[in-house]
Amino acid sequence: MRRRVRTDAVEIAGDGLTIMALLRLAEEKTGQSFLDELLDKDKGLLTGTIILVNGENIRLGQGLETRVEAGDSVALFSPAGGG
Amino acid sequence: MTGWMGKIVKIDLGRRTQGAVVVSDAVRRQYIGGRGLGVKLYSDLCPGATDPLADDNALIFMTGPLTGTMMTSGRYQVVSRSPLTGTICDSSSGGHFGAALKGAGIDGLIIEGRAATPVYLSVHDGEVEVRDASAYWGLDTQLTQKGIQAETSSKTSVACIGPAGENRIIFAAIMNDKDRAAGRGGMGAIMGSKNLKAIAAGGSLPVAIGDPAGYKDLTARIDRIIDKNPVTGKSLQVLGTSVLVNIINAHGMFPTENFRRGVFNDAEGTSGEKIAETLLERQSACYKCPIGCGRTTRTRDKQGEGPEYETVWAFGAHLGISDLTAITEANYACNELGLDTITMGSTLGCAMELCETGAWKENLRWGDAGKLVDWVTDTAYRRGIGAELALGSKRLAAKYGRPELAMQVKGMEIPAYDPRGAQGMALSYATSNRGGCHMKAYLIAPEILGHPVFLDRFSTAGKAELVALFQDVSAVVDSAVLCRFLQFAVGISTFAEMLRVVTGLDFNDEELMTIGRRIYTMERLFNNRAGFGRGDDTLPPRFFNEEFQTGSSRHRLVRLDEMLDDYYKVRGWDKNGVPLQRTLAELGL
Repeated sequence: MRRRVRTDAVEIAGDGLTIMALLRLAEEKTGQSFLDELLDKDKGLLTGTIILVNGENIRLGQGLETRVEAGDSVALFSPAGGG
Repeated sequence: MTGWMGKIVKIDLGRRTQGAVVVSDAVRRQYIGGRGLGVKLYSDLCPGATDPLADDNALIFMTGPLTGTMMTSGRYQVVSRSPLTGTICDSSSGGHFGAALKGAGIDGLIIEGRAATPVYLSVHDGEVEVRDASAYWGLDTQLTQKGIQAETSSKTSVACIGPAGENRIIFAAIMNDKDRAAGRGGMGAIMGSKNLKAIAAGGSLPVAIGDPAGYKDLTARIDRIIDKNPVTGKSLQVLGTSVLVNIINAHGMFPTENFRRGVFNDAEGTSGEKIAETLLERQSACYKCPIGCGRTTRTRDKQGEGPEYETVWAFGAHLGISDLTAITEANYACNELGLDTITMGSTLGCAMELCETGAWKENLRWGDAGKLVDWVTDTAYRRGIGAELALGSKRLAAKYGRPELAMQVKGMEIPAYDPRGAQGMALSYATSNRGGCHMKAYLIAPEILGHPVFLDRFSTAGKAELVALFQDVSAVVDSAVLCRFLQFAVGISTFAEMLRVVTGLDFNDEELMTIGRRIYTMERLFNNRAGFGRGDDTLPPRFFNEEFQTGSSRHRLVRLDEMLDDYYKVRGWDKNGVPLQRTLAELGL
């Protein structure tokens, strides 16, 4: 993700945004499309995509409809493995 | 039968005798090869109380029917009783050596006795020759491999020990194909105890394939699946296993300073991304593997392979060290001397906490990157404080009166996932047949990485069934023998298909799961005979009593008591963790 977007963090102003809306704003702000790293062709989360809001996986909440508040930290990881 | 070369050689280094071991078709089918067949043969030869470093202990090198085929496998398994843990142990390594053994015409080697002087085994054309290794004794693993290749052929694949194995350090590794390691459990010490410096294998005998057309189609299909899968086709290729550093740290379960914290503030500086930007020369791959997760790296003074995720952690966050060059050079030193990086690093972390508490009056301090290579080297030669570090964490912490500071299960040090952050992984560590290892059931896949499905990492519900399932599948993969990373792309049905086209036998999913369960239960029986039971299926007290105060795993503790009884029930074991008679009957044990 970072290698593609060429940054390791962006700040987005907004309160009450869904993760999906946040991701689109992040694409605009970085000037790089990257959603294909995280989403499948039906715009659902790819198997293995990890999105954490303040360390909590959105899959345990409302998924891409999870809403974030001002001050939240969102971490994005495209599918990865190792061991 | 196709797939197997049909020859397993048993050699007594003391008596200088050797012969073929007859394994029936039925036994091959019941245990497949690799880990399963290795443990079966070992259990028959050494049922329980053999001293791992005694002359009469057996050391088994075993391949599987898929080794040496186009199915991404050059791997081999080493099986014996571990000098580190006293449990049964299988240690796996990649590279090319497994394929070379089959190319030399054998499926496996059973080694007993102790040679009077240092020797190595040269395997070619189905024959095993004992050769003098006096010239190599004392050399590191890199010079040993080069020397034996110069003596035999540059195409020979060599598995060997370094000074650590010669000195019988109980966490000595076996190294092959330069920097690939059968690292865990001290199998290198057993080679040293037998005066066996190396095994060299080479040849081009083909592995017979049962269904050549099906094999060709399946190989092409698996290559496509691997290529399209974002983990095997991208993440592992671009960033290697250290891609996990930032992910596990973000989950607040990246063990820091001997598992006292779950967030390492300098994780970024030791991440796979940072390795790719700074030290990486090129990716490297094992035999016929399209993934290529290996990292060939260079520091200012040296070149080698690694560090992998576990090693980045063991010499990094675990010790409060963020100097990536120092971590990498400690990794190189372990490879050259033949030491397991996880146990080495974990023992250093234990030592640092012992020193901090004043229990051990030595000067090992958190963050002291400058002494890492010296500590590793002294351990391999058992000199100075290295003589103490060579004990491993369990014995070291016990010696200085603080056994609870060793982060181990059954004597094997826990790797780079704090169990407070993943309840299934906690159960996996506690019930692993070789001790605190992540490879028997990698619950990090569903609990953190979302493979094959995402599960709540803090819930204990259903984890007993899942851990047993993962353990059984992993036993099959280790017996076939395949690389575990294939599991990110394909599952048990594909493994059955692979075995069908190679062996010509009609393996199916259900039979493979039964085989996995048979192998796991057989290993458990060995451990029961060696004195292990319910009381050993646990974790260090830190994980039950001490909460993190920061990070996304804060205020969490391991809840093993919610899972262990269920796990025994799923397994068909009694409340003491001993397999029931009906379970043994079901499995033909």
